[in-house]
Amino acid sequence: MNTTTQHTVVLDGLGPVEVSVADYGSGQPFLLLHGGAGPQSVTGFAERFAAAHDVRVLTPTHPGFGGTVRPEALTTVSGLAALYSALLDRLDLADVTVIGNSVGGWITAEIALLKSPRVSGIVLIDAVGIEVPGHPVADFFSLTMDQVFQLTFHNPDRFRIDPATLPPAARAVAAGNRAALTAYAGTGMSDPALTARLGTLEIPTLVLWGDSDRIVDADYGRAYAAAIPLARFQLLCDTGHSPQLETPDQVVRAIWDSADTDFSAFAR
Amino acid sequence: MPTTAVTRITHSCHLIEIGGRTFLTDPWFSTRPGYYQGEPIAIGIADLPRLDGVLISHEHYDHCDLEAFASYRDRTVPLFVAETVVGEAHKHGFTDVTGLAPWQEVEVGGVTITATPAKHGVHEVTFVLRAGSDAVYFAGDTMLIPELAEIPQRLGHISLALLPTNGLHVRPANNMQVVMNADEAAELTAILTPELAIPHHYAFTKGFLGDRLITSSDKDPRRYQDASRDLAPGTSVRIVEPGIRTEL
Repeated sequence: MNTTTQHTVVLDGLGPVEVSVADYGSGQPFLLLHGGAGPQSVTGFAERFAAAHDVRVLTPTHPGFGGTVRPEALTTVSGLAALYSALLDRLDLADVTVIGNSVGGWITAEIALLKSPRVSGIVLIDAVGIEVPGHPVADFFSLTMDQVFQLTFHNPDRFRIDPATLPPAARAVAAGNRAALTAYAGTGMSDPALTARLGTLEIPTLVLWGDSDRIVDADYGRAYAAAIPLARFQLLCDTGHSPQLETPDQVVRAIWDSADTDFSAFAR
Repeated sequence: MPTTAVTRITHSCHLIEIGGRTFLTDPWFSTRPGYYQGEPIAIGIADLPRLDGVLISHEHYDHCDLEAFASYRDRTVPLFVAETVVGEAHKHGFTDVTGLAPWQEVEVGGVTITATPAKHGVHEVTFVLRAGSDAVYFAGDTMLIPELAEIPQRLGHISLALLPTNGLHVRPANNMQVVMNADEAAELTAILTPELAIPHHYAFTKGFLGDRLITSSDKDPRRYQDASRDLAPGTSVRIVEPGIRTEL
């Protein structure tokens, strides 16, 4: 059972921004940020996590995704980070763990860099945003949908859909998602200055990575963890770029039972 | 003779009244990502009484929040600190700063302050404050080390002890223990034999993920109370909420 609330958050220099936030469960708070695959890519995970533990999972839809409106001036990942940091203030939440997948992971890293005391930890799941020589982010915009499924999932057949079979409304939402993704992350999906900035973080960080991710490979993930002081890196088995879709129970366990994980098993 | 009393503010931050003087210990008045008191901050900086001195055991943020404490109304207040804190205190505009090595002492308006040994992840000292027959021992977040047994031999009877009890371990540092645990605090209580002991430094949390990835600690002070019942039956152990003033 979840509720969805429309919040109006006022940002410096941008004015009021409308953001739709789905709210699952009650208890320890988590902010869960979707990637380019859109809000429905985290819905099932939010439900599962809230059913398994006493947690409250908030999943905003990045403005412009899922058929929502993006203010013209909101064009950066750091702008989204400021939006969600202000949202946490508005909701007066404390000890929040922010979880983000893919571009959502990049937004998560930018939220951590704002150093709000409300955010106590971050979980980066197959995040993009940094540049790692020899390990480029796959050029999503030049790929066919079939290739996207091939690179995204360990077992693509479970998830493959034919875009031609989608109804027009769903195709319009997908086009909107793509436009919003380009507006926020560009086509390169990275900020050359991010790696150096991550070195200033002191926040507890868990970096989870699908061992079959071919959008951003595991060595890219290791480089992400290495850029953040004290970050712990963990590979997820038989998992691609969207672990919360493909192996959600592994993700829940990796987060909830992280105190018991032998991180030495995942060589940095 | 003036009453000796302690008011817990939060964590290891207390107001100690002794010999008619008032001292603040290990100031912590703000929060940062991954550093939470886990309990209220009972008194804000603006509401602090006039202080005769401030004791700082070491430079860690949760014991030495000088960035926040710099807003205290009088930066000429005397600071008595571990030697490693002196530079930082000056940097924040405090002008009367005295670094104390273990067993060094100073006198402030009839109260003798003696720095005593400690062991932690960084250099640390503990403190004994004495006025007449009353003495308060303040241990910020030290481990139990043999040198602490010298305290009653060298400085006489301790009436009130403020002790850490969470046995904090740092997971990425080979799970190194850096703070005494409940049993060790009870052992120290048996050595010091104070009339009254108050645990502190147990509610601290690094947050949901930090408590899993960075630290592990015992957040239940009753374990210390139970252990002291066996090891130090002559001491009354009182678990005190922030904001409560406890008289000796």
